[in-house]
Amino acid sequence: MLELSRITAGYDRRAPVVREVSLTVGAGRSVGLLGPSGCGKSTLARVAALLHRPDSGTVVIDGVPVRGWRHRAPREQRTAFGVVFQQPRLAADPRMRLADLIAEPLRATGRRDEAAAAVAGLAGRVGLSRELLGRRPHEVSDGQLQRACLARALVLRPRWLICDEMTAMLDASTSAALVAAVETYRAESGAGLLAVGHDSVLLNRWCDETVHWDELPRESRSGV
Amino acid sequence: MADPRTRTRMADPRTRTRPRTRTRVSAAVTAAVVLAVLVVPFAVPLDEQAVDLAAKLRPPSWDHPFGTDEVGRDLLPRSVYGLRVSLFVGVAAALAATVIGTAVGAVAGALGGWADRVLMRLVDLFSSVPHLLLGIFVVTMFRPGVWPVVASVVVTHWLSTARIVRAEVLSLRSRPYIDAAVSGGASRWRVTVRHLLPAVLPQAGLAAVLMIPHAIWHESALSFLGLGLPTHQASLGNMVQSARGSLLAGDWWPTLFPGLFIIVPTLAVAGLAGAWRERLNPRRRSELSL
Amino acid sequence: MSPVNPVTPVSPVHPVSPTSPVLSVDNLSVRFRMRGGRQIAAVSDASFALAPGECLALIGESGCGKSVLASALLGLLPRNAETTGRALLGDLDLLAADERTLARTVRGRRIGLVPQSPSAHLTPVRTVRSQLEETVRELTGVPKAGLREAAEAAAERAAFPATHLDRHPHQLSGGLAQRAATALALVGDAPLLLADEPTTGLDRDLVDRTVDELRRHADTGRALLMITHDLAAARRIADRVAVMYAGRIVEIADAPAFFGAPGPRHPYARALLDALPERAFTPIPGMPPELGDLPDGCAFAPRCARASARCETLPAPVDGVACHHPEEATACSN
Repeated sequence: MLELSRITAGYDRRAPVVREVSLTVGAGRSVGLLGPSGCGKSTLARVAALLHRPDSGTVVIDGVPVRGWRHRAPREQRTAFGVVFQQPRLAADPRMRLADLIAEPLRATGRRDEAAAAVAGLAGRVGLSRELLGRRPHEVSDGQLQRACLARALVLRPRWLICDEMTAMLDASTSAALVAAVETYRAESGAGLLAVGHDSVLLNRWCDETVHWDELPRESRSGV
Repeated sequence: MADPRTRTRMADPRTRTRPRTRTRVSAAVTAAVVLAVLVVPFAVPLDEQAVDLAAKLRPPSWDHPFGTDEVGRDLLPRSVYGLRVSLFVGVAAALAATVIGTAVGAVAGALGGWADRVLMRLVDLFSSVPHLLLGIFVVTMFRPGVWPVVASVVVTHWLSTARIVRAEVLSLRSRPYIDAAVSGGASRWRVTVRHLLPAVLPQAGLAAVLMIPHAIWHESALSFLGLGLPTHQASLGNMVQSARGSLLAGDWWPTLFPGLFIIVPTLAVAGLAGAWRERLNPRRRSELSL
Repeated sequence: MSPVNPVTPVSPVHPVSPTSPVLSVDNLSVRFRMRGGRQIAAVSDASFALAPGECLALIGESGCGKSVLASALLGLLPRNAETTGRALLGDLDLLAADERTLARTVRGRRIGLVPQSPSAHLTPVRTVRSQLEETVRELTGVPKAGLREAAEAAAERAAFPATHLDRHPHQLSGGLAQRAATALALVGDAPLLLADEPTTGLDRDLVDRTVDELRRHADTGRALLMITHDLAAARRIADRVAVMYAGRIVEIADAPAFFGAPGPRHPYARALLDALPERAFTPIPGMPPELGDLPDGCAFAPRCARASARCETLPAPVDGVACHHPEEATACSN
């Protein structure tokens, strides 16, 4: 279970973009979170992925409460999440070849010797050729780069996937291919998914259930 | 290629030729300076300290192309030696200041919080003292020589690099690719060394090159005030300083040539740095975008 | 020269007189010369025509060359690009025109560009009004006294609310920023509007509103070339659709037939529509070929279920479809 309760978060404490919002994703389930751009759904996704510390509220991952975010979270907790972002250009270190990009989490966690095999396996799953793996981000298209970013998110075999507008910049075929890769991984690993987006047709087709941002449970605390 | 209708689209002509010429001239001058400084002292057996009181304050001539100074020393070899010292001080100081500034800026930017606050207050503290004053303070603590001058330049010049690097790191820190690294289990150290530092190095390198002219001027200023290198040593600052008297008497060459040797190389290095900065511009890096 | 003009400019919605297209592109090719003598065939033999009041959607995957085609029309290609063919805007060949002509008489005046990201297109430190007034002054020569009024009229045309004219770009919502950018594009009253991925990153409501507004401008008699990978947006407003794959236009069809019944005829176009979540949601196997390393024959053959030995030769476009094994045309084919 991924339980977010009464989360208030944002970039300015006086004007949080997320106010007292709760969201639960069951183990192995997939939830699509719909909402217009700028509503705060991406911030909530970042809170869930332990990348953004909320001003208040609690996050419980598989029964373990979260005590810190980003580097304050223990490594096992951080790496339980695979995150895919909207803009692959910004989500890829421009100096790394795609193969290094995908292998980076393994190297960062001291599992360097597994890198070659893992990269080869994942490249096949997301549909990247050997030749593409040797290129740098500026030498590939957005779609190809996003495939690499998805492979990077899967390389540590996370229990949870957070896809923040993963296909918003991509064409129909690449979108379908990436969603298929995510679903194949989930089917064999039992990982849960929180997919954030604004395309209701896509999320309805993709996820077990979809919720609209405006329909999320909110309790207003007295005196706030 | 055979098709006569094949055309090549040229970019806007206004933005092209002039910067290229500037870069070429800068590169040529810089190369000449480096060559002169590295080769001349070994290839040409001239003694920059040789005194010939009979030939003092001679205007430029075939024997002494730059003329002689008030004790009859030939100004050409002295200028070359002076430039050598100045360049050495400039490069060494710029390197050291960049390393220190980059380290401080990266740590402050990457860690944030109290570390950032302490380090940046330190930078503010150093910046609040006028540079030359701080530089003078440093040199007066040591015996005159090259290294105190280098130290003086370093102490006053690492600040701007620290600020640049910190700002750059702060803006990079919120990029999704850093988020991805954090989520991928990278430690703070790894995020800084593998993802943040490589991204700021071109900027830091540019800052270092831009700093070389500054450092040369700083050295010259210190020497001019008599606080830099020992007065007998040929340094551009020393030479201009000791030529002041003769300038008032109408002898222009002892100040002109060392002066030119300060100005021309610094302009050339600055010109090269400008070309580098243009290359860093991301718009030019992606010539082909599909 | 080609025996069959792949473009049959007949639209059921907007009857087109074949004598006066706004833009007529004929065998346009763009090659990039890369280091080491490599060549990238970004656009090959693209031909189409665009009539007043008509909207043509150029669709395709990212990297298929559609943005390069737009840059070629505007003369904004990098230095290492070579173009062949013709692109006639009225009687001016855009590919032969020099930079001066393009800058002074074409961009903004004869082609209005609706940008991909309006927030990046607007100057952040100036108000919408001052940017509009400047553009009006530059493009139309309206005297100083009339500037304010002309700018407000320009805003009005793009449905930009006059109450927001004195705001800076960062104070605008995404939709309003898009309208401000569109207002700027409309100032020169250009007969051709070129919209390059005008909806990237916008959410569905905003996509719909943005393209509806573009459609409105086409309805006033402008020709609209919309380059997009968003099939829903194309379906919403296009009269005709041109599908680009690996630098070639593989199918040009009327939009209602393409998106509705009988559907696309090129296997790639069919597969692209099948990838939509409201349809089969199945990806096309494999990936598009590299534009620097295209096969001699049909570039889609390696991913195509219908491929045969014939596909090793390049299919010539017939009735707007460049395929050896197209889906049968409905009524009168064969």
